[in-house]
Amino acid sequence: MTTLAIVAITIGVWGQRLAGAFLVGPQLEKRPNLSRAASLLPAAVVMAVIVQLTVTRAGSLTIDARLAGMVVAIILVWRKAPFLAVVLAAAATTALIRAFA
Amino acid sequence: MHIGPREIAGFLHLGRSAYGRSVAATDDESAQSTPRLSRADFVTMGITFFSLGVTLQVLMIENGTSTTRAFVASSVIFSATSQFAYLAVRDGGGSDWAGIIAGWVVATRFGILAVSLNPRLPKGVVRRVLAALNAFDPNVAIAVQQSNPRDVEREFWRTTAGMMLGWFLGVGVGTFLGDIVGDTSRIGLDAVFPAALLAIIGNLLRQRDGLISGICGALICLLLIPFVPAGFPIILSVFGVAVALMLSRQPAVETRSAS
Repeated sequence: MTTLAIVAITIGVWGQRLAGAFLVGPQLEKRPNLSRAASLLPAAVVMAVIVQLTVTRAGSLTIDARLAGMVVAIILVWRKAPFLAVVLAAAATTALIRAFA
Repeated sequence: MHIGPREIAGFLHLGRSAYGRSVAATDDESAQSTPRLSRADFVTMGITFFSLGVTLQVLMIENGTSTTRAFVASSVIFSATSQFAYLAVRDGGGSDWAGIIAGWVVATRFGILAVSLNPRLPKGVVRRVLAALNAFDPNVAIAVQQSNPRDVEREFWRTTAGMMLGWFLGVGVGTFLGDIVGDTSRIGLDAVFPAALLAIIGNLLRQRDGLISGICGALICLLLIPFVPAGFPIILSVFGVAVALMLSRQPAVETRSAS
């Protein structure tokens, strides 16, 4: 990470927490539409990060063992498995496929 | 849609009885028994944040970030998701600013957590600022579930302490291990963070609108990856929300604004 990135992301993350608490929060109470949009935002952007981390390598689409790990993770999250079980199973699946492929 | 404690941090299975309720029940927080973290909950949460800290440090150092920089970054940013978004964009050849904006966009999650937390805190700007800056999933989920307003702040900081202990120990150990661990993909470390993120938003995805929003965000990102510069697929995924709102069947707004 560059120094600029560390500083800028820190300001952005801390600023959003403060803005959420003091500026946006009171406004959202008055605007249910906006409030719903805000509460759905994490699902969209976090899923995008998940896609980026799962099927790309150096910027291009790459299907490899990570995808199998994620399929296992999806099943376990759906079945409400504990957090550590999800993470360990995804890593183990990915590692095993790489070891035997 | 109301974001209740179950949507926020049900993934950690903390205070099991409190999370076992239906989503509708979480709307009426005052009616619930007050959840308190057990020792086992603290250990689970500590291990969770410890393992995320280790993973993040090892991957950052492997990505070419110096150990000092990696340590400083994880100690001040307080959003592993933003760091991963940034690293993913840079790995794809994106510019510094594309990575930074992607990091900002994914940090909206924490702003929304602060929105739920703030009204429950006692008055006092300094105390509210300090709490807002530490808003994470587990501590906000515990704090907003307290039935007695006097317990909110204490339980928030108790949870924060357990989380931070795990996180900083993990960051410390990960920084140390970063230079030692060889090929991290051999042990599947690159699958850890996407799986962790999925678990974190799991309960949001279990709701119809949350699932639509998530799938749209994922599709937008996937379709754009081959065509636009790195970073933009993540940034533009915010429009997944628009699709979710259009497809939504809940006419929540009309009823409220008409009254």
